[in-house]
Amino acid sequence: MTTSPLLDATGVAKNYGAVAALRNASLSVLPGEVHALMGANGAGKSTLVKILTGAVSADSGSILIRGQAHEIRSPAQARRAGLVSVYQEPALIPDLDVASNLRLTRTPVEPFRQWVRELGVPDLDLGETARDVPLAIQRVLDLARALAIEPDVLLLDEMTAALPSDLAEKVLDVVRRQAQAGRSVIFISHRFLEIAALCDRATVLRDGETVGVVDIEPGVEERIVELMLGSRMEKARASAADADDGRQSGTTPRIGVRKLRVGAKLQDVSFDLHNGEVLGIVALEGQGQDQLFGALSGSTRPSGGVIEVDGQAVEFAHPTDAVAAGIAYVPGDRADALLMQQSVHHNIALPFSANPRSWGPIDTGRERDIVRSAIERLQIDTRAQGEVQRLSGGNQQKVTIARWIAADARTILCFDPTRGIDVRTKKEIYQLLRQLAEQGKSILFYTSELEEVQLVCDRVVVIFGGKVVDIMPAGIASEAVLTRASYGLPRDAKPASDTSAVNASDKLGPS
Amino acid sequence: MRNSKYLAMLLGGAALLASAVASHAEGPYTIGVSNTVQGNGWREEMICAIKAQALASGKVDKLNIAHRNTDAAGQLEDLRNLISAGVDAIVVNPADPAGIKSALEEATKAGIVVVAVDQTVTEPTAYIISNNQEEYAYLGAKWLFETMGGKGSVVYMRGAAGASADSDRDKGFKKALAEFPDVTVAHEVFTGWQQDQAKQQILDFISSGLPFDGIWTSGIDNVIVDALVESQTPLVPVVGADNAGFVGQLTSVEGLKGAAVTNPGSIGGAGVTLALQILDGQKPAEQTVLVDPQIWANTTDEGMQQLKTAADPSLSPEWPVSISIPDWTTYTKEQIVACKGPGE
Amino acid sequence: MTAFFRGKGWVTGLFIMLALLLVFTRVIQPNYGANDFGSLVRAVLPFAFAVAAQTVVVIAGGIDLSVASMMALTSVIAAAMMDGATEEFALLVVPFVLLVGLSLGALNGILIVVTRVPDIVVTLAMLFVLQGAALLVLDAPGGSAAEWLKELVVGTASVPGVPEAVTDWIPKGLLLLLVCLGIVWIPLRRSWLGLSIYAIGSNQLAAFRSGVPVARTRIIAYAIGGLFGAMGGLTLTMSTGIGAPIPGPYLLASVASVVLGGVVLGGGRGGLIGPIVAVFILRLVRTDLTLLAIDPNVAAIVEGTIMVVVVMLGAFLAMRGRTQ
Repeated sequence: MTTSPLLDATGVAKNYGAVAALRNASLSVLPGEVHALMGANGAGKSTLVKILTGAVSADSGSILIRGQAHEIRSPAQARRAGLVSVYQEPALIPDLDVASNLRLTRTPVEPFRQWVRELGVPDLDLGETARDVPLAIQRVLDLARALAIEPDVLLLDEMTAALPSDLAEKVLDVVRRQAQAGRSVIFISHRFLEIAALCDRATVLRDGETVGVVDIEPGVEERIVELMLGSRMEKARASAADADDGRQSGTTPRIGVRKLRVGAKLQDVSFDLHNGEVLGIVALEGQGQDQLFGALSGSTRPSGGVIEVDGQAVEFAHPTDAVAAGIAYVPGDRADALLMQQSVHHNIALPFSANPRSWGPIDTGRERDIVRSAIERLQIDTRAQGEVQRLSGGNQQKVTIARWIAADARTILCFDPTRGIDVRTKKEIYQLLRQLAEQGKSILFYTSELEEVQLVCDRVVVIFGGKVVDIMPAGIASEAVLTRASYGLPRDAKPASDTSAVNASDKLGPS
Repeated sequence: MRNSKYLAMLLGGAALLASAVASHAEGPYTIGVSNTVQGNGWREEMICAIKAQALASGKVDKLNIAHRNTDAAGQLEDLRNLISAGVDAIVVNPADPAGIKSALEEATKAGIVVVAVDQTVTEPTAYIISNNQEEYAYLGAKWLFETMGGKGSVVYMRGAAGASADSDRDKGFKKALAEFPDVTVAHEVFTGWQQDQAKQQILDFISSGLPFDGIWTSGIDNVIVDALVESQTPLVPVVGADNAGFVGQLTSVEGLKGAAVTNPGSIGGAGVTLALQILDGQKPAEQTVLVDPQIWANTTDEGMQQLKTAADPSLSPEWPVSISIPDWTTYTKEQIVACKGPGE
Repeated sequence: MTAFFRGKGWVTGLFIMLALLLVFTRVIQPNYGANDFGSLVRAVLPFAFAVAAQTVVVIAGGIDLSVASMMALTSVIAAAMMDGATEEFALLVVPFVLLVGLSLGALNGILIVVTRVPDIVVTLAMLFVLQGAALLVLDAPGGSAAEWLKELVVGTASVPGVPEAVTDWIPKGLLLLLVCLGIVWIPLRRSWLGLSIYAIGSNQLAAFRSGVPVARTRIIAYAIGGLFGAMGGLTLTMSTGIGAPIPGPYLLASVASVVLGGVVLGGGRGGLIGPIVAVFILRLVRTDLTLLAIDPNVAAIVEGTIMVVVVMLGAFLAMRGRTQ
């Protein structure tokens, strides 16, 4: 093609302290094209988006829009340069009515109304407070607002994730027409189906670098996954041979999840967690895993389906109910779990001493013994035990797990427990989880680092779009297989026979 | 026994009835009270004196008390509310001499007798009955400097920055200081008339190790003696007010030289008496009546005698012991301690 | 239902409550009339400006603990400058003092934005700084005010063609209040800046993404707060004729009225009318307590209880509305 790109970003780099979030990213978008931006978790996709939209500024690199260099320091500047974004979460000011939101972004009202109508919302009241507008409609309003100012480049970040299918269809239709009118769209999505249906080309990021730009054509999914995985691909292929199912049939599962639904995010999830098992959960960001853990730990009410504990259907009204059923939740953010100013001892003792059903004096002698054994077992470095906040991140994480061992929980829900932890402590946590499983405890383990699955888990459940798309033994769950599965692609050429879930190949129709 | 009690009650009731009938021509009155410092021993005694005197006079059937922590603007609001309530007289302890002029003027226009107690006001139609604050500071400071032998350094523990009583006292203190050229101020600090704050301040100063030969306080006194005793610092002469706690210390703490300057909170009761006199048509010769303070030093036999007579452990330690003012108050000690007004 | 309680309903409720209180006042004191209403308005003035200052800042998602000190400082500056000066000189003093308030408010905002120290800490520090500065200007209550300034809040307005029976109920202080608040608030409410202030209080990230310069808007919100604070300081000097360096009880009262007025602590929601009506209610409650000769120690409890009950009732109704 000879046309010059509308947006041309080259050599973009960004460091956060010693961590390089982007090393050398480039993105070139031609007029009239819908361009997908792809990359695995941590590839630098969201950093590049932040730079393009002015939320953070790049350390180096250049951004040209219509051939002109632009310094984008704020969303307002990006907008003036002709680049408008629609974000994952609604950007309307919740306490202002729709009309005020339009005035705030200086959006012309008539074109906005027209777009809203075309996007399938015929009767919008501009006087309504944004907070009262349903979430899906808010996304539509965001998009209409962006379209109304006729941007050169429209950036859509996971735009369709929270939309019901009829609205999503309308959105895709409008995006397509936008491209036909000679404008460009940058489209970020985890759904190959949409990308195949909509996009012309895709730029793939890996480890902060642009590793390839591909034309979208039938079968390109494989190529994109290859690019996302890079050298990890080869070694992955080898291990995907045979493996023991790992499932203990015949016994009553410790926890049974049957057709669980939570809000719009988690749509249909079923699996069993057995005693003595570490069950991995793998999903891209925002596929409903938060809601799944929320429901199992009693902090979110399911909107449908059943949770069984030891074969009995249960309903958790409060996290204490889950704790009473022997289910402990270790959140990803340690700050959510620990009393940072308190001692290690106090933190570990809290869950079992603060049993809400037994007010009264605490048996301090027993408490001390239990805490000590838990600390020993975990090899927690107790030199700084006066205040948990002075421990390293890894040791903090160990404390969050130790407290539940001390409380004698039979099931532990770990949500990304090793994020931001040094390698040695990670290994100790893997060991700990395995030991716990050997003692007959059951562990549900969500991780964003796919190589951990084969190190820790017996089986793994892959969730995509709020549904279970695959359940496989850890033996075959290489990074490559998991990556493909988590994008809704078949795990291999031939579909596995032991999955009870919807196979992704059924979903990927011809585009 | 039982009969005699009954009889006494009957007689008392008859007497009350008679007095009510007799005073009907000149009463009963409703008196409004406005005060802007709450929770301070001196001011609480003032309020109790007002209540007790109103009760003892028999001429007041209702007190309307606006008593809270606020500023001059808040006092304007309270005064105007009292005007709205239709009181016959207002006894006011002004937050500021000039700041409440407009409301006092409105009160006079509405036919209300205004008596300012404790501090002066600029409104010319208002009557003032007040302790002489400049004299208060001068008397105490003069005694202190004499006791120090006319030389040395003194810790000057003032009241609240910006309060008019504090600036009046400052004038008296400076006047005495000018008479003793060899006395220097080692440390000047505002206690805000807060006990805990003052104690901390003197402890901080003691730990600084700087020498001092005397302490003048603006009435936050007993905690200062406590601090000296607790920190085992050599006792220096201390001047305070006639607060019950301090007076007790002056008669009991071994080796403490000190003097209490009277600053009776019962001036409030005097204000009620003055207001009632004016309502009954007996206007005083002067618009302003000043009550001069006395000094009771434990270094003289006479002073010691006065202190011993005044010391009263039944009073709250923050209350001034001079609970009555001759000629101006007629209530009994029980009445002021009970702190009940008419109808309570 | 929910939207109703978030919006006009709350303010309507406050107006009804005020009307009921006025009726109640008239019942317990049948002589309560135009003059007494004038007294109420004059009592309301400094509180109203303190509340206006707090309202703007709270809507922008902040809090200003220095508002009472700001009033004390601006009040003593005005009183000290006018002391012994000509009546005309006061014409210069007023804009100067307003400018001081505006700049000190902006300083609050700049410190918060630049140092990233939480607003509650910065404005608390500022509380002490301004209080000290006020004592430097006047170490005791003093100074004076120009006669024409004092006249601004005394008496009633006379409007040609309107019968006196009506104008008797329109004290000059009320007009002053409405004009001063209106002159700042109405244009603000209709401007992009006003929207931005609501936006940063409602959701900072969304505001940033909507193109709002968050830091600048926050500074401006504090500056407007400072301006209202200076107006409050001036009304203190106007009504007392002096300047007092020790701050009055305006800080807690301002926060209380903001909450009672339907402005959400945390930002983004509410208006100015609600808090101002709330000030009238709280002052009238104080009047009624004095008229009833309630024991002063009980009065404070009654005031506090009324506040809590009303706010809780509002929250309860809003919750009911949400579940229906």
